[in-house]
Amino acid sequence: MIRPFTYVKPATMEEAFDALKADNSRPLAGGTDLLVDMRGGAMKPDLLVDIKGLDELNIFSVDSGRRDVKIGARITLNLLIDNKTIRDHCPAVAEAAFSIATYQLRNRATLVGNICNSSPAADMAPPLYVLDAQVVIASPSEDYGERTLPISEFMTGVKKNALKKGEMVIRVEIPELPRGKTAFMKKQRIKGHDLALVNLAGLADAEAGKLRICIGSCASTPLLLKGTDQLFKETKNTEKLAERAADLAVHSISPIDDVRSSGEYRKDMVKVFVKRLIHRICS
Amino acid sequence: MIETKSEYTYVGKGYPRKDGVEKVTGTAVFTHDLVIQGMLHAKTLMSPYAYARIKSIDTEEAERIPGVRAVVTGKELNYKVGLYVLDKDILAKDYARYQGEPVAAVAADSELIAEEACSRIKVEWEVLDPVLDPREALEPGAPLVHPDLENYGYMKGVFSPRAKTNIPHHQKVRKGNVEEGFKKADLTVKNSFYNPPVQHVPIETHVSIAQAQPDGKAMIWTSAQSPYTVRNLFSVCFGIPHENIRVKVPYVGGGFGGKAGIHLEPLCYVLSKKSGGRPVKLAMTREEEFNTMPSRQGLYSEFKTGVTRDGKITALQVKYYWDAGAYADYGVNIGRAAAYSGAGPYEVDNCKIDSYVVYTNKVFGTAYRGFGHLELLWGVERNMDIIARKLGMDPVDFRMKNVLLPGAATITGEKITEHTGRVDKCLEAVAMEIKWSGCKSEEKRKEEKRAGKVRVRGKGIALLHKAPAMPSSTSTAVILKFNENGSLDLMTSLIDYGQGTYTALSQIAAEELKMPVEKINIPWDSDTSLTPYDWQTVASKGAFLSGNATIIAARDCIKQIKETASRVLRCSAEDLVCENERVYVRHKPDEYLEYKDLAYGYVYPNGNAIGGPIIGRGRYMAQGLTNLDPETGQGLPALNWTYGAHAIEIEVDIETGEIEILKIASSFDVGQVLNKDLMRGQIIGGVIQGLGSAVSEEFRFSKEGRFLNPTLVDYKILTSKDIPHEMTQHVVETSQEDGPYGARGVAEHPMLSVPSALGNALYDALGIDYFRLPLNSERVYFGIKSGKKEFHD
Amino acid sequence: MDITVKVNGIEYRENVPANMTLLQLLKDRLQLTGTKEGCGIGECGACTVIMDGKGVVSCLILAVEADRSEIRTIEGEARGEDLSEIQRAFIEYGGTQCGFCTPGMIMSARELLERNPNPSREEIAEAISGNLCRCTGYEPIIHAIEAVARKKG
Ligand code: FES
Ligand code: FES
Repeated sequence: MIRPFTYVKPATMEEAFDALKADNSRPLAGGTDLLVDMRGGAMKPDLLVDIKGLDELNIFSVDSGRRDVKIGARITLNLLIDNKTIRDHCPAVAEAAFSIATYQLRNRATLVGNICNSSPAADMAPPLYVLDAQVVIASPSEDYGERTLPISEFMTGVKKNALKKGEMVIRVEIPELPRGKTAFMKKQRIKGHDLALVNLAGLADAEAGKLRICIGSCASTPLLLKGTDQLFKETKNTEKLAERAADLAVHSISPIDDVRSSGEYRKDMVKVFVKRLIHRICS
Repeated sequence: MIETKSEYTYVGKGYPRKDGVEKVTGTAVFTHDLVIQGMLHAKTLMSPYAYARIKSIDTEEAERIPGVRAVVTGKELNYKVGLYVLDKDILAKDYARYQGEPVAAVAADSELIAEEACSRIKVEWEVLDPVLDPREALEPGAPLVHPDLENYGYMKGVFSPRAKTNIPHHQKVRKGNVEEGFKKADLTVKNSFYNPPVQHVPIETHVSIAQAQPDGKAMIWTSAQSPYTVRNLFSVCFGIPHENIRVKVPYVGGGFGGKAGIHLEPLCYVLSKKSGGRPVKLAMTREEEFNTMPSRQGLYSEFKTGVTRDGKITALQVKYYWDAGAYADYGVNIGRAAAYSGAGPYEVDNCKIDSYVVYTNKVFGTAYRGFGHLELLWGVERNMDIIARKLGMDPVDFRMKNVLLPGAATITGEKITEHTGRVDKCLEAVAMEIKWSGCKSEEKRKEEKRAGKVRVRGKGIALLHKAPAMPSSTSTAVILKFNENGSLDLMTSLIDYGQGTYTALSQIAAEELKMPVEKINIPWDSDTSLTPYDWQTVASKGAFLSGNATIIAARDCIKQIKETASRVLRCSAEDLVCENERVYVRHKPDEYLEYKDLAYGYVYPNGNAIGGPIIGRGRYMAQGLTNLDPETGQGLPALNWTYGAHAIEIEVDIETGEIEILKIASSFDVGQVLNKDLMRGQIIGGVIQGLGSAVSEEFRFSKEGRFLNPTLVDYKILTSKDIPHEMTQHVVETSQEDGPYGARGVAEHPMLSVPSALGNALYDALGIDYFRLPLNSERVYFGIKSGKKEFHD
Repeated sequence: MDITVKVNGIEYRENVPANMTLLQLLKDRLQLTGTKEGCGIGECGACTVIMDGKGVVSCLILAVEADRSEIRTIEGEARGEDLSEIQRAFIEYGGTQCGFCTPGMIMSARELLERNPNPSREEIAEAISGNLCRCTGYEPIIHAIEAVARKKG
């Protein structure tokens, strides 16, 4: 059962920020994580600020000319999946979105919500890491105004992020549509909806000599592998590259045992999936 | 498509389910949907510990919350409940014996208030060391889950709780002489296996409403499989006479055994009593369902088998250790059934089985579709494959050499006859369906390895058998009452929670009475004050017993129809025939009476009337069953055996351990198909539930006995994306002499041996034997990684 | 809080507490008990309804969030006694057993066929994978939906 609380649905950003000043308040977008936590008693907010009335958060611009992408806080995962430019140019984003929960939940759940929940297993995080996504945070202007953080600085720990009291993520930006290939992969227990045991995304841009791999669920935050560009430049043979990237990955992570999987299995699966990922994006 | 050789007008045909329209329109009312005037809502406070002493409970603060109408704790409730052993309190009294056990309950104006009140109840605990492994619980000096076991009441002559132990029942089966048998063997093989506890996960969780009426009567609305058993156990618990208890069961959203006994009803009743007779509803949330409601027991099994070189089993010794959890519930009877079924569908002359039901500090076990057989067959059928391999025999041939065929006897001495059913034919059918051509050779596996194959294939086969596990005196009744238009109401307290039994019963009634199925109505809600007795809806006995009762009731109707008609048509009743809703003298079909002319009595043109309402009565009792001899287990426990087989083809990703199920072929000897479409539905549904046990489902516990995955987030049942690429269903129809139209039950069987066939297919694919369930990708992967041929983790 | 919702074409004005879910509004307040609860946390799909044309789980939506929306539930699926094609196919192909998942399942099927009249077997399996069914083993449901698509296509 959900405990009593107050609900407001502001029509303007000012009203929203005003409301969020209140103690123990929370923004509400899709609610697919928040309401579960509230039902279970893990979260007991006194005030929910429904942001679904705010037009500013409804932006979803995918500009294949200017090659940038803006995804507002109201944009649901299914909208991302349905977008052809996203599917064609950042398949990793569409694939990650598609891997989350169920169709019905994806009609409500948002990309911004997924990263604000800041689970180490957040499926949207790995693609956003490899795409250098920027998180745009707004707050009552006198204090902070608008600030932008790279996703890797936004997510700070298990269920922790850089949001301060009264702030709100208003959108995520992908500064440039990647020119190379991207892909997302996820190891789960069954084929039906499940949380990730391991999730990862990759980007390979041969022209720019860029290879980026981000692994989720294996540390307190998703982990962007270091030294992959170098590897990419040094290793022309895809098979070898896959091997070396997998080794690098395994040495960079320290997954834990939990009810979903042992740490050892996670580690071994990272190895397998990094290889498979490299084959998908490098050949 | 199921092929039946049925030559009947109605029986065997694929009539759509009678409850279809109500269910697809959302008008079917389930207990969850019910609101009773003045109803309160209840919540329970659960024990956070697997084993702990309750030093004190302070409910004062909870009671002061506005809207709270009753708070109860175990202390004030001097009642014992139990199916076979009276070992359970309505709320934990001095000790909480599993994490999730209710220790206090609140009835309030709303669920929210009740929940809030529960959170304000203060319990002072003394946390004790739990015993979690049934094998450890058997050791001398192990903590006793029920130190007072010897003082509990139990069903005498059937069960045998042992004082100062954790054993509420130990079932023995002794046949021939195993020592001699092992001497005759050329090869002796030992294997042990494990199944974790799992849960039924009906999509409608447990829910009950009870009202203590001022006249001393009790009204109960409940999502239950067995209204009369609820009534009887309720009566035993509270000492209320049966006629003063009325149990109503509306549509039930899945049960699978989990709703077979008595569960939330007594607690609702005591809350109702304490709140001045207001009806009280208690509905489990999914988390509560997992934590509080019973599971399927875990099982450790140990096999020692002697075989001759040419593949004949000479001796079999088995030990089953059932993890009953904190209470005996159905568990003791599962332990009993497992013993007499414990050798599988094979002829074994020298057999020694010990089936121990053992208390532990876990959520208690109960019946679950298959009643222990999925678990025991995991061992039996894996064991058979391993032995065949050691003998260098094809596993199909090895089984064929040992299966029970007419002329053989079971391990409890029951004779197999021409009418018993043919497991060999089921085996043949599935082997053919997956084009079985022998096991993959070690050579072939090596070759695949050399070639660096990431995905490898394998096939596996397993047999199954099960008989209804029920008291020797199990009975049921059906009433057929005609309506004025010649239609019929069929009244039964057997519950149809999706199996399709009601539709099958109306086909049987239609066949007997020669009238359309559409004119037979079965009210879906059963009511112990209105619908006649049925023991329980369990054990795949519904179609068999109630089918027979329906035939008898229909013949009773025909007798009444003919009796009145013979006077109207001035002939002897023997000369009359019923056909097409009409009755007429055999050779004069044009001079007929319609059923509707007789339904409420025949009225002559001058106003004279004879006959009266036609009401048929049918009752059926299981015949010839006996208790088992306590020392040897010999006796006749089984009404009928349903045999079957599955064959599975898989592809395994050896880098991840993921299994892709390509095909599952199933075959059962059902005696006679009653409704081929609904039977197919039962088979597919059962197979997928079995597959869930095979690849995914398990309760996980911390070493303190805390339940780690009590939500659908981490307890994964299969989804539409997880089903095999292909499933086929086949039936054999060896008529069961005493079955209705020769039919026998097949509701549980599709689930059985699915894990076993998968385990066998995994060996075929990988050359690795797995001994524990579930075969999830992590386990399969670590088996591969271990490099061993036997993987015991 | 005051809200206005249209459910199966009928407008309701209700005063609801903030902590009431859409599922509770439908079941407890409006007594449309066809929609079911199987988990309350979005995992089982028994509470699936169509909100402004999209399939959603009503247990994770607040009633106040449904203000000014249009909801379709199982009660609106048939026209009087005329069952929809989907309902008829569910009966014919064995898509329902105990029936508890059925209302949500049919809502998911309905919404799928509206956005994709010709789904492949995989697309059907994907679309209903958020609806757990413990009885049917799913295959009959997939067949039922395929049959409806075939008829339309
Ligand atoms: S009740 Fe809403 S998804 Fe289960
Ligand atoms: S029909 Fe019972 S859960 Fe689907």
